[in-house]
Amino acid sequence: MATSVVHMALFKEEQLDEAAEAIQVLRNLGISDKDISVISGTPFSEKMLGRPMAWTSIPLIGGAGAVVGFLVSVFLNFGTPLLYPIQVGGMGLQTIPTSIVLTFELTMLGLLISTFIGVLVETISPSYGPRGYDARVTDGQIAVLFSSGAELDASLHDALSHLGAEIVHGAEDKKLWP
Amino acid sequence: MAAEVKPIPNAIPSPHAAEEEDLREHLMFDPRPREEMNRMVMDSMTHTTPRYWIVVGILAVLTAVLLYGVWGYMIFTGIGISGERRPNYWGIFIVSLVFWIGISHAGTFVSAILRVFKAEFRRPFTRAAELMTTFGLAAGALWPLIHLGRVWVFYWMIPYPNARWLWPNFRSPLVWDFMAITTYLLSSTIYLYLPLLPDLAMARDRTKGWRHVVYKFLALGWRGTEAEWFRLRKAINIFAIAIIPVMFSVHTIVSWDFAVAQTGGWNSTIFGPYFIIGAILSGVSAVVTILIILRATLKNMDYFIRLEHIDALGKLLLVFSMAWAYFFFNDYMVSWYGGSEVVRTILTFHASGPSAWIWYVMLLCNVAIPWLTLWSKKLRRTPWLMLIVTLGINVGMYFERYTIIPITLGHQRMPFDWGEYTPRLPEISLALGSLCLFMLLYMLASRFIPMVPVWEVREGQEAHQLRKVGKTVVPSVSELE
Repeated sequence: MATSVVHMALFKEEQLDEAAEAIQVLRNLGISDKDISVISGTPFSEKMLGRPMAWTSIPLIGGAGAVVGFLVSVFLNFGTPLLYPIQVGGMGLQTIPTSIVLTFELTMLGLLISTFIGVLVETISPSYGPRGYDARVTDGQIAVLFSSGAELDASLHDALSHLGAEIVHGAEDKKLWP
Repeated sequence: MAAEVKPIPNAIPSPHAAEEEDLREHLMFDPRPREEMNRMVMDSMTHTTPRYWIVVGILAVLTAVLLYGVWGYMIFTGIGISGERRPNYWGIFIVSLVFWIGISHAGTFVSAILRVFKAEFRRPFTRAAELMTTFGLAAGALWPLIHLGRVWVFYWMIPYPNARWLWPNFRSPLVWDFMAITTYLLSSTIYLYLPLLPDLAMARDRTKGWRHVVYKFLALGWRGTEAEWFRLRKAINIFAIAIIPVMFSVHTIVSWDFAVAQTGGWNSTIFGPYFIIGAILSGVSAVVTILIILRATLKNMDYFIRLEHIDALGKLLLVFSMAWAYFFFNDYMVSWYGGSEVVRTILTFHASGPSAWIWYVMLLCNVAIPWLTLWSKKLRRTPWLMLIVTLGINVGMYFERYTIIPITLGHQRMPFDWGEYTPRLPEISLALGSLCLFMLLYMLASRFIPMVPVWEVREGQEAHQLRKVGKTVVPSVSELE
């Protein structure tokens, strides 16, 4: 079986159209979308690049956190007064109007913290698709990474070069996080 | 109308040279290569002069002495060294709490609300405002602890089963305060951090040594993949929408510390929105103050922070000053018309008692000066004048809280129990110390955190185009998300 290597086609920041075109060229030459990834220093949507829509579970994780926050608030508002009754000014032990405040705060806290945890978990989780990095990306360049044979096909090389890409053979996957 | 829509990438054809020059004034129409913008931001972080370190040193000493030293002394000797005594149990400590929590509203307002409404001028200064929120809350969160007196038992506020059989009363606004400030501090710190990820990665790629190690850790391995950008957008959108009601809740709850009490002058249903408007007025003013200082002192900031931004925020300030005046008058009018002798006496006392000068300075700074100056585009684009106006607004807002809290509290139902509040040296020292702490944290952060979200600026520049309409060209913005 031929070894698959990650190559990188680097485009200048004003060459977004060419980068999108390059993805189409790669597809035409038989490289599937799962063997292509794009890294950029500026956010470009999948539609701009003609890529399949990404998916994330962050809203779900956030929603779950909100539910947990809500349940904690219900416990604090309605459960703990039974354990630790505090009589204040003739007010009932379990009052709905005052409970709304704590319920709101804890629900939002649950939503926001779990959204962040979702980002954290998804960011440090292993990702699929070709991996590689070039610091020029944060200078605005757009890198199209694709898996191909160790020796890049000449037609592929020509097609990408024709679009103005600088091609890095065997892109290095740097360790960017401890 | 026949309009030919044609994006013109960098320059306008020569017949429109004058218009081109006008538009270059706007950051969005004056793009520079991303590499250059990155370098400018990195330069602003790494370029320090001896003057900077002298100022940092002085602030560190002042913070240590005025804040922590005096606080330590007060813990050792007791809270009796402050001017707080019957009937004024709430003085500078609570005034400063409300002031700093108010200041912290600007970050969310400028960043989240303007982001949700897609106000493009926000892009270069969202981070400066978000930092202000975090450090404002850090300064504000000290005050309940200082006011506790016996600060070493602060953890009694936290609900956990304990041998003392003490439990927080969740029906009390003071406990709501604790929950709301904690929620806001955590969420606004995360909201500061999330959009920072791409800029931390940029800093990671351009640094060596300890800075590189720290940025590498904080950037969470950011590479800029499609999935990472998608996640970031989703998370920022969730935060931007969710943090707005949290922001409103925080200052509403702070206002309820007063409004739910049966205290004359406090028991008002309008206190919630009145406090929120005041907080936004004071916070946005502080953002303008900080932007002017950053622009003048931080290298390359004059490219990112321009007169157009001061101008736009100046217009917002005028609107908020008017809104504040409306709520102030509304609160005053209804209370005065209600005919309660106690409230009328308090309101009369505000305007004619020995502390009346505070009330007049408040109106002068919050209403008269902004209304006389901020209507003028020329004046809004004069940085030194805006610095004075915005500093004045914050003085006015501090005095507003001072009027509401100790002056009102000192003149309640029983005249024999009236009392003048005079802050003593430890309180004044602590208040100044918290200001020094805020400035110190901000100055240190300006050398460590990229103060401009470069990727957001670049995204904005990508989205802005010139559109030829008839004989002229006009700016237009595309929806890139």
